Amino acid sequence: MMWLSRLLTPLAPLLACIGLLCVWQAASLALDTGSFPTALEALRAIPDILGDRGSLINILASLRRMAIGLALAVLIAIPLGLLMGRSRNVAAFFNPLLMVIYPVPKAALMPVIMLWLGVGDVSKTLVIFLGVSLPIIYHSFQGARAVEEKMLWSGAAMGMSASRRMLRIVLPAALPEILTGCRTGLVLALITMITSEMIARQSGAGNILFNAMDMAQYDTVFAMILIVGAMGIILDAAFERLRAMLVRWSDAGRAIPLSYS
Amino acid sequence: MARRHFPDMLLGLAPILMLIALWQVIVWSGTAPVALLPSPFSVFARFSAQLLRPEFHHEIAATLMRLFAGFAIAVVLGVSIGLAAAVKPVVDAVVKPLVRILAPVPKVALYPALLLTLGFDHASKISLVAADALFPILLATYYGASMVEQKLIWSAMAAGTPRAQIIWKIVLPASLPSILTGCRIGLVISSIVVFLAEMITSTDGLGHMLVQAARTFQTVDMFVPLITISLLGLILNAALHLLRRYLLKGFAEI
Repeated sequence: MMWLSRLLTPLAPLLACIGLLCVWQAASLALDTGSFPTALEALRAIPDILGDRGSLINILASLRRMAIGLALAVLIAIPLGLLMGRSRNVAAFFNPLLMVIYPVPKAALMPVIMLWLGVGDVSKTLVIFLGVSLPIIYHSFQGARAVEEKMLWSGAAMGMSASRRMLRIVLPAALPEILTGCRTGLVLALITMITSEMIARQSGAGNILFNAMDMAQYDTVFAMILIVGAMGIILDAAFERLRAMLVRWSDAGRAIPLSYS
Repeated sequence: MARRHFPDMLLGLAPILMLIALWQVIVWSGTAPVALLPSPFSVFARFSAQLLRPEFHHEIAATLMRLFAGFAIAVVLGVSIGLAAAVKPVVDAVVKPLVRILAPVPKVALYPALLLTLGFDHASKISLVAADALFPILLATYYGASMVEQKLIWSAMAAGTPRAQIIWKIVLPASLPSILTGCRIGLVISSIVVFLAEMITSTDGLGHMLVQAARTFQTVDMFVPLITISLLGLILNAALHLLRRYLLKGFAEI
């Protein structure tokens, strides 16, 4: 039994994938409607999409916007969150504003932003930036607030300036929590990327997905869903590797952060 | 305490008021044409005018109905699957890899598939909301229930609680704080997702209002649904906070 479970544990996610595809295959065979292709048909459509130059450029353009939006959000949200965590006044200043912004779907700002900045890269990147910033701010805030006071006092006693204390004590101590926020942000960036392209149909992965839907190319629709899903899983797994490397010293965090979606 | 909270509130209102003031100044200065950026006064006037119209109530009701239906399904499924996985190793072995795979998948991308299988009516929107809100609630329940102190369970068993009842009498109440945290995240996500689903395909609801206004370039009307969803989110959040205070009366910290 022991060797069996040792063999199965690393394979479990793969088995789960295969299981889901089997359920899908069975469901579509059972329903047998023209608009619900089988898993195999969808898988077969994937090489066509990835082989096509136009779609590949579209998908890469999406990923570029996502990367830029995410990078900007990381650069601005982490310092803001850390400041909020260490200063009562800064926290009291920004908290209500963030609470008002939180329940607004960032992609819903797309039609308004499109009026000002056009349908191009700028507005989509801005929407991704807005969507990703909040969880990163929130997690950095939580992380910085939990830093032990004593360490800061010791730092001050050793003659560290306030900005050095921030960089050498607060940032590393809050890093596990910050990286959890970044991981949530990564998945959110992917979601906002798809929705923004769905609303401004001009280029990108979301555009291919919903255009195929409108043109009733259902194989392509389901193949794109698989591609986008795989992007989410791969990006998340890669980031988890990176996170584990960076904060090897801290307690193993939760396998999956709560605030996905 | 009350003395300390009052200036905090003023400080918190400042950036919101500053944002609105900045908005007004831009409108006054004339750098942005009114067609692109209406003044905040006209937006709030339209919002309060809309609040009196029954059609607007109908849109809000449609959105809220989908939101609550999806959220309720997510709570029931999330809490029961989470508890089962935390208590039974067999369930855990099946659920964990599935969650690992499905949690990072952007659920909006599934929306076309839901449309094709469930149709353009309520069902597809409600299932999208449920799929999106499910994972935070499930994970929070799972983590909460796995953290329950073994000593509590042993004491209950020593006091004669039947095995079958331990999950209801001990594990569920002990993991309640964590479950409610998950519900709070799930609720915000639900309000975001229901809006997006309505923006993509719908004939009513707040999201549909926004798209309709955008298509006809009624800028003032575009801001109204955005303000509404933000207020709805705040109200729902506050309601859940009160519920949490009521449910967790006996707990040391909230």
